[in-house]
Amino acid sequence: MKIIAFSDNKAILSQIISRFRDEAEVHAITPDPDFILKYGASKTFGLKGDVLSGPVSKAIEKMYQSGGYDLIAIGSTVTGREVAGLLSAMLSTQAVSEVNSLSFNGGKATTSRFFYGGKSLLTEESVAKIAVVAPGLAEATESSKKSDITELQLEPSSVKIVSRTDKKGGSVDIEKAQVIVSVGRGLGKKENLEKVEPFAKAVHGEIAGSRPVCLDYGWLSEDRQVGLSGKKVQPKLYIALGISGQIQHIAGMRNSKVVIAVNKDKSAPIFEEADYGIVGDLFDVIGKIKDKLAQ
Amino acid sequence: MAYNVIVLIKQIPDIDQMKTNPGTGEPLIQNVPLRMENLSKNAVEAAVRIKEKNGGKVTVLCFGTEKSTSVMKEAYAMGADEGYLITGYAGNYPSVTANALASKIKEIPHDLVILGNQSADSYTGLLPGSLSAILGEPLLGNAIDIKLQEKQVSVVSALEDNNLEIATEMPAVVSVAQEINQPRLPPVLQIMAAGRKPINQVAASNLQVPEVKTISNRAPKSDRKRIVYEDPAKGIEEVSNVIREAIR
Repeated sequence: MKIIAFSDNKAILSQIISRFRDEAEVHAITPDPDFILKYGASKTFGLKGDVLSGPVSKAIEKMYQSGGYDLIAIGSTVTGREVAGLLSAMLSTQAVSEVNSLSFNGGKATTSRFFYGGKSLLTEESVAKIAVVAPGLAEATESSKKSDITELQLEPSSVKIVSRTDKKGGSVDIEKAQVIVSVGRGLGKKENLEKVEPFAKAVHGEIAGSRPVCLDYGWLSEDRQVGLSGKKVQPKLYIALGISGQIQHIAGMRNSKVVIAVNKDKSAPIFEEADYGIVGDLFDVIGKIKDKLAQ
Repeated sequence: MAYNVIVLIKQIPDIDQMKTNPGTGEPLIQNVPLRMENLSKNAVEAAVRIKEKNGGKVTVLCFGTEKSTSVMKEAYAMGADEGYLITGYAGNYPSVTANALASKIKEIPHDLVILGNQSADSYTGLLPGSLSAILGEPLLGNAIDIKLQEKQVSVVSALEDNNLEIATEMPAVVSVAQEINQPRLPPVLQIMAAGRKPINQVAASNLQVPEVKTISNRAPKSDRKRIVYEDPAKGIEEVSNVIREAIR
């Protein structure tokens, strides 16, 4: 089998390569070839030029048409989803989105993705040749398999970049965090973050939040949002504080290893998705846990 | 200058009111109220603001069913001038939607096509790219701001790590994110007037439905332990041990 793998997100691309390198020849396309090299793709193509969806889709189209590819796997990012949509129309082939599992059986692909905002898991069999892959398809592991970097020059685009602004707090990467302390509406007000921070520090955790906290109220920057429309995280430990557990939130933290929830409402849906739950005032509970851990 | 803007809207089931069958775990989709997709509202708002500022016309296209007249009326109430409801397909594949919409878009003179970047039910995010390719018009994606100057459109595109300001010549496709605006709540008089406004219904052409077999569609299984302490005093010891173990 032969696969083209593209993502402008290093983490997702390394997961895609790790997932397929043993059963397929993986040709990886990336703006970060030096980083991607260690994950054992058969070929690594380093992109030169503006990584915009138009030129990237043309480069992938050209490679795909050179023949013999069974699948184009694209990491699910803003740019990646655009590239997949463009390619689906350019190649008149079907694309399947947001897949969190993918396997092949005699030319057909079996894929799973969340539907209805995460309320159901839809498993389908299709002849899709393009798969948009959600984060967490597989664990990224380094490989001793070596490949060279080939430069891939992108064509100029009819879309021009005017300026680029880094997002504030752009240095956090909660997708990589091992421990996440996530806050919801139960936090009450932004100032209360100060009461959560010492606890997060005590458990060596990154602070994240639900959609209302990050987007609607702006208590946290949006790059800390966990959920279907935010980051999909997979820490060893996920501590949900004052989060009710809407399905859109669950879709972002479902791959966590151990989930602890604290909420004052004992009927909060988050307790259905937690390994350990405590019904109570979150500030009181985290204070006591912090004391216990210090003992 | 005045601009002709086509805005694409989608009707979806109200997911928050959707339940799953406790026995089979399958979603119970019948009798769930339908509503306008979240980002479709932002798209209509963005289009109407362009008209209010520069003049021109807002034409709404909805690829839906006979039940979708309600969202069309909502778009009218927000300020859209004309609407086409394209029917004939009840499935949910972006390639089908892209081709059906593009066939109609090609018949309507326009400077911009505006749509939501991802819909709240399926989250595929494929439509903007596919439309851009079929129409041969550049895509400015996930916009949180749109500026127009003569024949040039520029947007601030919200990427994961940075905001990218990008520009191109019209006609172009612009997909919008939630942060772009706060959709208006139309006054009652406009809602009533919208109810009387005609909706053009057209049958979809160019329907090529892909072969996809649904193997299962169920609420995701969760194998969490669900040990819940209603008395915090009892839970703290155990949970502290779990945390200590996990962060070792």
